[in-house]
Amino acid sequence: MGGGGFTAEPHNPALDDFILSLARAREPRILFLPTASGDPNGQIAAFRSTFGERACHARHLSLFRLEQDPHDLRALILSQDVIYVGGGSMRNLLAIWREHGLDAIMREAWESGVLLAGLSAGGMCWFAHGITRSTGRPEPAPALGFLPGSLSVHYDGDPIRRPAFLDAIARGAIPDGYGADDGVGLLFEDSELVRVVASRPGTHAYRVQRQTVDGAQTVLETQLEPELLAAAASVRSRDVPDDIREFRAERYGAAARRR
Amino acid sequence: MEAGNGLLDEYVLACTGVEHPKVCFLPSASGDADHYIVRFYRAFSPSRCEPSHVSLFRRDKGAGLGCDLAEHLLDQDLIYVGGGSVVSLMGVWRAHGVDEVLRECWRRGVVLCGLSAGSLCWFSESVTAFHGPPQRVAGLGLLPYSNCVHYDGEPARRESYHRFLSEGMAPGYAAGDGTALHFRGESLAHVVSSRAKASAFWVEEAGDGLLEEALPVRWLGASRRLSVA
Repeated sequence: MGGGGFTAEPHNPALDDFILSLARAREPRILFLPTASGDPNGQIAAFRSTFGERACHARHLSLFRLEQDPHDLRALILSQDVIYVGGGSMRNLLAIWREHGLDAIMREAWESGVLLAGLSAGGMCWFAHGITRSTGRPEPAPALGFLPGSLSVHYDGDPIRRPAFLDAIARGAIPDGYGADDGVGLLFEDSELVRVVASRPGTHAYRVQRQTVDGAQTVLETQLEPELLAAAASVRSRDVPDDIREFRAERYGAAARRR
Repeated sequence: MEAGNGLLDEYVLACTGVEHPKVCFLPSASGDADHYIVRFYRAFSPSRCEPSHVSLFRRDKGAGLGCDLAEHLLDQDLIYVGGGSVVSLMGVWRAHGVDEVLRECWRRGVVLCGLSAGSLCWFSESVTAFHGPPQRVAGLGLLPYSNCVHYDGEPARRESYHRFLSEGMAPGYAAGDGTALHFRGESLAHVVSSRAKASAFWVEEAGDGLLEEALPVRWLGASRRLSVA
C-alpha cells in the first residue's frame, strides 16, 4: 500500500478489509509488525481496535518487547494467514529483521502461502528496491526482493519522493517499478500484479519504466486506474458473524463475548 | 535515569569535565520510545547540560537535529545509550552507520555511557536475555571484554554467562543493577553505584573452574551523609 489502512486512514477500513478478504480462512490469523516505527503503543492500539472487531485472530509482534512476551518467531510467523507490516523507517525495519533472522522467515512464510501486506515501509520492503526517507531525504534502498522491481509509496502525498524515484529509475540505479498514491494497494500473486485497489477516489498507481528517447535516459510513467473499494459495504460483510461470535463464546468464555 | 536517584546521571555528567556538557541520548534500543525520551529530558535538564536526542526511526522528520547526524554526535561531550533490545540496537546502528560514528566519538574522547543494552553495546561480546533464553551478541568491541548486566537480579542470565564463558567467550565484567563500570580507554578505572548495596565482578574461565572476583564498589551516595552535631 502506498499509504492507507488503520494507521494512515483510521476511519477508512477499506484496505484493511480488502486484506482480510484475501485470506482463505474464514477467521484468518493476522499478525501486525510495527517494527519500522519502533513498536509504538499507538500503532498497536490502533491495530487492536481495528482488527479486534473483525472476523480474525489479531495479534501483534513487538520485537522491542520480546522480553515481556517471548516467542518462537518462526513458528509464530508461519502459523499466520496474514502478515501486516506497519510504516516507518524501512532501513531500520530491514536491519532489525535481519538481526532477528526475520528476512529468511518472511520468505519462508511467503513461499508457504502466507499473505504479506503492509503500508509505506511495510509495502516497499517486499520489493527489490524502495525509495526510503529513513535518513531524511528520499533515496533508493535495497529491500527483501521477494517482488522484482521497485516501489515508491506516498506518490501523491510526499512531494519529494516521486522525483527521487523517477530520477533513480532514469539513472538505472534501481529497476523499473511502481508508484502508489496514499490509499492505493497493489495486489501481487507470486510476482505478477493482478489487481490495483484504492480506498479513496481520485488516487492512482503508476507503472514506471526506464526508456531511452533520442539517446537520453528518461522514464515512462503509465497511470493505472484502481478499483475503488466499497468501504461501507465491506465493513458490514466482514463484521464478526453470529456463528463465530457464538463459537468464541463457547471456546473462550465471557471475555471473548465482550469483544 | 533511575527514578528519584540521579547519582549515576550526576556521575556521567561529571566524567565529561565540562561545566555545561552537550549530552545526546540514543533511545534506539527501545525503538525510540516517547516516554523514554521524556524521561531523558527530565533527568538531563537544560539547567545542567545541553541535552538532545537522536531518533533513528524518525529521520524523515529531521530526527530533531539541525545538522548532519555524524557531525552532531561528534560534537557531543557525552553520549547516553538507553536500554532495550541490544540485537535491534546493533542492527539499527549499523544500518545508519552510527556504529562507525561512535567509534570515532570514542577515539576523540567523547564520554560514552548507557545502561543495560546501552552498556552491552560497547563490549566485544555480551549476554542478552531480552529475546527469551539468554544468547550471545556481538557489540562494538571498543572494550575487549564480555559484559553481563542485571547480574544480581536474574539467575538465568548469570548461569548462561558462566556457560558462555566456559564455551570460550572472552572474560569480562558483570554488573548488578545500579552499578556502573567506568573505563578509561580499555582499562577499568572505577566502579561506582547509585545504591548502597551494589555489586560488580570480573568473571573468567580459569581452567579448573570459573573465577568470579568481586570488585570494590563505591556508593556515590556515601559522600552525602552529612551530619550536623
